[in-house]
Amino acid sequence: MFVSAPERRLVRDHDPAALAVLAELAERTRPVAASRTRLLPVLPALAGLLPDGALRRGTTVTVGRPGDDGALSLALSLVSAASAAGSWCALVGHPALGAVAAADLGVDLGRLALLPRPGVAWAEATAAVLEGVDLVVLCPPFAPRPAMARRLVARARERRAVLIVVPGRAGWPEPPDLQLSVDAATWEGLDAGEGHLRRRRMTVTAAGRRSAARPVHHHLWLPGSDGTVAPADDPLDPAA
Amino acid sequence: MVRCPDLLDEDEGGVALRTFAEVIAAVEAYCPWVTAVRPGICSLPARGPARYFGGEGSLVELVQEAASEVTPAEVGVADGLFAAVLAARRGLIVPPDRTPEFLAPLPVSILGLDELAGLLDRLGIRTLGGFAALPDPHVLGRFGADGAHAHRVAGGRSGEPADLRQPRITRLLAGEETDDSPVVTEPGFWGGASDADARAARCLVAAQELLGPDGVVTARLQGGRGPAERARFVTWTTGDPPRGAVPGVVRLPAGGSGAPWPGQIPPPAPSVVHPDPVRADLADARGEPVRVSGRGLLTATPDRLSIEGGPWEPVSEWGGPWPSDERWWSRSRRRGARLQAVTARAAHLLLAERGRWWVEATYG
Repeated sequence: MFVSAPERRLVRDHDPAALAVLAELAERTRPVAASRTRLLPVLPALAGLLPDGALRRGTTVTVGRPGDDGALSLALSLVSAASAAGSWCALVGHPALGAVAAADLGVDLGRLALLPRPGVAWAEATAAVLEGVDLVVLCPPFAPRPAMARRLVARARERRAVLIVVPGRAGWPEPPDLQLSVDAATWEGLDAGEGHLRRRRMTVTAAGRRSAARPVHHHLWLPGSDGTVAPADDPLDPAA
Repeated sequence: MVRCPDLLDEDEGGVALRTFAEVIAAVEAYCPWVTAVRPGICSLPARGPARYFGGEGSLVELVQEAASEVTPAEVGVADGLFAAVLAARRGLIVPPDRTPEFLAPLPVSILGLDELAGLLDRLGIRTLGGFAALPDPHVLGRFGADGAHAHRVAGGRSGEPADLRQPRITRLLAGEETDDSPVVTEPGFWGGASDADARAARCLVAAQELLGPDGVVTARLQGGRGPAERARFVTWTTGDPPRGAVPGVVRLPAGGSGAPWPGQIPPPAPSVVHPDPVRADLADARGEPVRVSGRGLLTATPDRLSIEGGPWEPVSEWGGPWPSDERWWSRSRRRGARLQAVTARAAHLLLAERGRWWVEATYG
């Protein structure tokens, strides 16, 4: 992704192993890469959903389809490990974050900037925060135009940030590097007036391009009974 | 409302303005929505913070103390900006809905409209109460639109005389702030942290330039029963420590966010907390509205839910109600009940209050 033109020629002429060597070399010699690694950590429960077991800088991930229950929780849990490790996060366009839930998922609220009502300037505001924030969770308040979405994706790639889009009803016209969707979500804990919401079992499917082309299904407790994320074993599928 | 008598006169970028900025910063420890009204006067919405700090009395005390550490200050509470300024001058807390009574005995001249005061004086009307008692159409006919507006102010019906606010003050203060904040480029500003913090700060400042200062906020946790009370959103500033508390917050009524709050809904916490509760309707299987009885029980089994007049969705599971009796010590006591309801699309935390259901939070 950052191999320059002459290097690319070189790779074509040589064996495939050279590619790996070159990539590593380029990574090491990049001034920015020296202090910033390529991958941002995610919680162990989510690692299986991501092709690298972590979030790759410069990529775009969409979370949830319109009407998906739990998309915001899933997006917050994606950023939480990186946030706890010191990365800055921003949430753009969500006017009603439950901060306690975010903190319980492990997000460091001290490094979470909220832009709750960016209005018509949402794309500009997102582009601005992508300049210096590692992980940007975007809930577009309006349907984005394709050109606008493309510019933001390009900005994330260029700034080596991770753009996590929760399309909601507005939608997202650009195919992402990775698409997480919530296939089923059921709450436990309530029984005809008794008890209280205890935890939600969620089936998350990850699909994407290249190394993530084959869809992966995972079962999660999100949130678990203490507000965190935990893997949920699937009784129907012994392989899981 | 906070009034600093020493700072009422404007001086361009001078000491008074800087001191006023310090007062505002001190008051912001109790409420993030402090508005500079004019030099020496700032206002804050009292309802939320008062509920949190244990009543308007204790809020006034706390704010008074914080502001007085900077400069002599007067603090008061009333409905509307005009009445609140007058209440501050007298150090009064006017109970909700009693503002007209508070204003009634005051002289008409207090409105600051000499011509109007002269006319009314000739008619034998010398108090705001007397003026407010005149019938609307007569006032409009005799004194024109400005007179009608003053009439509403005098009756405590509309907030403020037209020239009370000086929007310039915000810009002056903003100018002050940019002078004082070169810290953005300083690496390690957050106590040894990295230049990642500095980069984030730079881009968040850029976002604030685009959206206004309040367009970028951060969340802080605090104690409270309802989900909305457990977090507070403050305007993001470059000086924000990553997780430190604001000085005033050490005075939490029950010892901090970790303390048990009776009546708190057990975890997990909802990921969406609506800043303004959303209207909802809850009905039983026959379509009759479900209510909470005086004994805190549901009058029927919830069967379907409609949010903001939207389509009815079947309620698959529900739990509660849990009574929420807030500010039971105060006149502005709020009694209600909370209920969890699960539909095919989401799980909600509903609040029964003021005779109807509201969606307070959603487990999104």
